[in-house]
Amino acid sequence: MNEAVVAAGVSKRYGETVAVDDVDLSVADGEVFGLIGPNGAGKTTLVRALTGTTPVDGEITVHGEAPTAVDADRIGLLPQSFSPPARLTARELIDYYGGLYETARDTDEVLSAVGMAAAADSWYETLSGGQQRRVCVGIALVNDPDLLFLDEPTTGIDPAGRQSLWSLLEELADGGTTIVLTSHSMTEIQRLADRVGLLQDGRLVAVGTPAELIESHGGESQLVIDTDQAAAAVDALTDADFAATAGSTEVVVDGVSPVEIGDAVAVLSTVGIEYGSLAWSEPSLEDVYLQLTGETFATAGNADSTTVATPTDAPSPTEAEPQEGAQ
Amino acid sequence: MSRLRRIRAEAVAAWHSFLRRRTAVFFTFFFPVLLVVIFGALVRTQPTDGGLFAEPAAYYIPGYLATVVLFTPLSRVGSEIARHRDDNRFEKLATTPLGRGEWLLAHTLVNVAIIGLASLLILGLVVVLTGAAVPITPRLALLGPFIVGAVVLFCGFGAILGRLSSTQDGVIAASNTIAFPLLFLSDTFVTLELLPGWFAPLVELSPLTYFARGVRALTYGPAIEESYGLELAVVAVLAVAFFVAGAYAIPRTD
Repeated sequence: MNEAVVAAGVSKRYGETVAVDDVDLSVADGEVFGLIGPNGAGKTTLVRALTGTTPVDGEITVHGEAPTAVDADRIGLLPQSFSPPARLTARELIDYYGGLYETARDTDEVLSAVGMAAAADSWYETLSGGQQRRVCVGIALVNDPDLLFLDEPTTGIDPAGRQSLWSLLEELADGGTTIVLTSHSMTEIQRLADRVGLLQDGRLVAVGTPAELIESHGGESQLVIDTDQAAAAVDALTDADFAATAGSTEVVVDGVSPVEIGDAVAVLSTVGIEYGSLAWSEPSLEDVYLQLTGETFATAGNADSTTVATPTDAPSPTEAEPQEGAQ
Repeated sequence: MSRLRRIRAEAVAAWHSFLRRRTAVFFTFFFPVLLVVIFGALVRTQPTDGGLFAEPAAYYIPGYLATVVLFTPLSRVGSEIARHRDDNRFEKLATTPLGRGEWLLAHTLVNVAIIGLASLLILGLVVVLTGAAVPITPRLALLGPFIVGAVVLFCGFGAILGRLSSTQDGVIAASNTIAFPLLFLSDTFVTLELLPGWFAPLVELSPLTYFARGVRALTYGPAIEESYGLELAVVAVLAVAFFVAGAYAIPRTD
């Protein structure tokens, strides 16, 4: 398969700050490649490097040419924090950007594709944040590109709008469009991306399919048992060779496959332990993200911050990070 | 054709965007009108009495026109560039076929249209409110090339300011700082006789001086026999130079 994008040894510094650090990357024709990473990890700078809108060290080719030399009719870009000119309607904006290309998709077709047909004649600044973002996605699609760069396309869009845009992007991908997508939504990336690259402090620390990354870095499936007899439950489960740990009102059992859930429940019943609920979960891309970035989160309804993963070899999030989009 | 299509698309978008900003439209036309009303109708010129505004009313037509020819492109193009940069529009445009020169040409065309209309308004007001006598001669038609040349020149200058200033406020401050001295020290409202002798060479360095003298040779009776060729040539050459420099100044990358 041909490579749509190839980056080798790409680095970018803003003064003393390293925004992108020796990144090697390739995206195949027709592939959807997701870039994830914390704020300031270098995602936007890397997208700018790949689109030729910022000079970098290293080699980049897009369809075999330098990014600034590639036929602009083949490229679509939605920059991060992008706002089009004011006092124009959604329809006029699609017309305007379409007019910059040799040929462009039909304006009504684009508006329908991004779910903006009903509000096509509203001024951009009167639209909701989610509608504005949809217009921006339409602007990126107006030249029917075969390589599309989307920097956080669904930021601010409501769940229904997001689902609709995901469907649109899936249709484009099915039609052969290569997509490079950055996002903070792991659900979005897991649903859309064929492969994922995780950036941390400007370095590409992991690349693979979502399944590969989850298998390598996602940890084990977990069974969480809500019970007031946590200590006794842990003892019983441990005696039965389950890897159980106690919380204040819950027991977490790691590495439980779906078929083993019944065995764990049977152990609890045998020793007479009552429980309120059982929750079983598979590792997800979010677990991979948290594992590799060493970030923490607070569990819902619990004021105490729970460290999900803090690997000793992962850089601390408090270390100096390059500022994304630094000028 | 595709180049024309791109320029047209950019110009149409910029035109609509401007016309729908009522405040911008109001002040673009209101500011020069205010000047004509204050200085032309209220203060009034007082020939032979000496001091400021001692010349006949028509003498100051280049000055009134200079207000829109100078201020409007400087602030509009400069702040447009700052807005584009703030909203990452240049990052987007860099991945389209639209070139920097095409972008500046489109916005210059919009400014030519706006300033052309404002100039007609000013000329009409000066004649009506001050009773200025503008000789109707064939050479009056050359007012168009002077205005177009000066607008192109100051659009290029505005693009450079937009590149150098990091914010819209900075652009406005910089353009005012440059435009006010230029406006009054370019043989427009203040005659050379009112300035110290050592200052005269500096007046020759202002691009606006050549616009003012050329326009005066077209619109002011006592100067109607004076030549304007050198002035038009200087304005044209500077227009090309500033346009090219301005086009290169427009950011395509960060």
